[in-house]
Amino acid sequence: MFFTFTETTFSIYMKPLNKYIDHTILKATATKSDIIQLCEEAKQYQFFSVCVNSCYVSLAKNLLQNTDVKVCSVIGFPLGAMSTEAKVAETKQALNDGADEIDMVINIGLLKSNDFDAVWKDIEAVKNCMPTKTLKVILETCYLEELEIIKASELAIQSGADFIKTSTGFGTGGATIHDVKLMKHVANNNAKIKASGGVKDYNTALEYINLGVERLGTSSGIAIVTGQTSDDKNY
Amino acid sequence: MDISRYIDYTLLKATTTEREIIDLCYQAKDQDFYSVCINPAYVALAKQLLENTNVKICTVVGFPLGASSTASKVYEAQKAIEDGANEIEMVMNLGFLKSKNYVSVLKDIIDVKMAIKKIPLKVILEISELNKNEIIKACNICIDAKADYIKTSSGFSKSGATLTATKIIKKTIRDAIKIQAFGDIKDIETSIKYIDAGVHRIGMAALFKTTRSIRLVS
Repeated sequence: MFFTFTETTFSIYMKPLNKYIDHTILKATATKSDIIQLCEEAKQYQFFSVCVNSCYVSLAKNLLQNTDVKVCSVIGFPLGAMSTEAKVAETKQALNDGADEIDMVINIGLLKSNDFDAVWKDIEAVKNCMPTKTLKVILETCYLEELEIIKASELAIQSGADFIKTSTGFGTGGATIHDVKLMKHVANNNAKIKASGGVKDYNTALEYINLGVERLGTSSGIAIVTGQTSDDKNY
Repeated sequence: MDISRYIDYTLLKATTTEREIIDLCYQAKDQDFYSVCINPAYVALAKQLLENTNVKICTVVGFPLGASSTASKVYEAQKAIEDGANEIEMVMNLGFLKSKNYVSVLKDIIDVKMAIKKIPLKVILEISELNKNEIIKACNICIDAKADYIKTSSGFSKSGATLTATKIIKKTIRDAIKIQAFGDIKDIETSIKYIDAGVHRIGMAALFKTTRSIRLVS
């Protein structure tokens, strides 16, 4: 076991902690050697996936051949403000390059304009190019009021999202317990939850898992499974 | 000196609403700015609002990280032009630049330029992330790729344009490419300093009061 038991307990039904983690590097300046290191770590710790920008999907796929580690690509990231057609094209290219999962950003501006038709069509168009693959929809909760979080969750789930995800890590804040509870309540069991942004240590990770979170997006995966606190400020 | 024709009036934050785009276009018409610079999802709307005016529409691709795949940037640019964009700003792939994979940086830009043909292409360097040598290298790649403008910054990084970096860019590219500065440029005096340093276009962030109601439960 990588981790020690602390005051937070976790259920015997829980899958191993490392299998919750999307090992993530999304900063603009990430180099080829950063991606190589990310994939090496993901293999070593048997994380669920690596989460990278779409320009690095084919590299990551090559590095992770013949392993269980999946490749997750972000789309329309991090603003969510590109055209629907561009999100679809980026998704198709990422799938073509070997992505197993897609994390797209919801169109936050259209949500705030109450243009809900445009919001769900945006998500549905992406889901339509990957019917059997996992689509996560990032709500960027730091910019949303409660009613907007509820509405965004509903729109995403109705449009075929497999997961709703809290944050890009590039907004003004990351996941909060409060927002995750709200999303879990709306999702019921119709979609899974991914918490991301600010999940940096074992206790925080367990807290989210105990709320019913199925996946954690973090650049601190190693610290989490080894029971340390990461000083990584990125994600 | 009338600087209004130097200005790209810019609103790129993720939370931008349709209402704010309407205000932005109205103000741009009123001030006779060169263009509005907006995210691709709003190009079609801005096109409608700015019909029969001088104000052009500029949009961004691969924004603001520059880390989307080349194919995605190409498609995003083509779709934006179809929707009515008059200028395209793309973010350079900074990760490839830092990996010294200059061929891929060049190809990323060339592919977009070839797809959009005569439409002006601006390449955002994100100078706050680059050292002097990287800025010079990036400028030379932009010359090779036949970009039309070099833009200093996306507005989403640690900091924006500086006069020092602008002078380095100008010295490297001379008259091969035009320069657009974007950053903390909010008044005429600062704008004129940049124009004197050789800048042809200035990105100016639109400022709207944002209202955010209180959360239901704290």
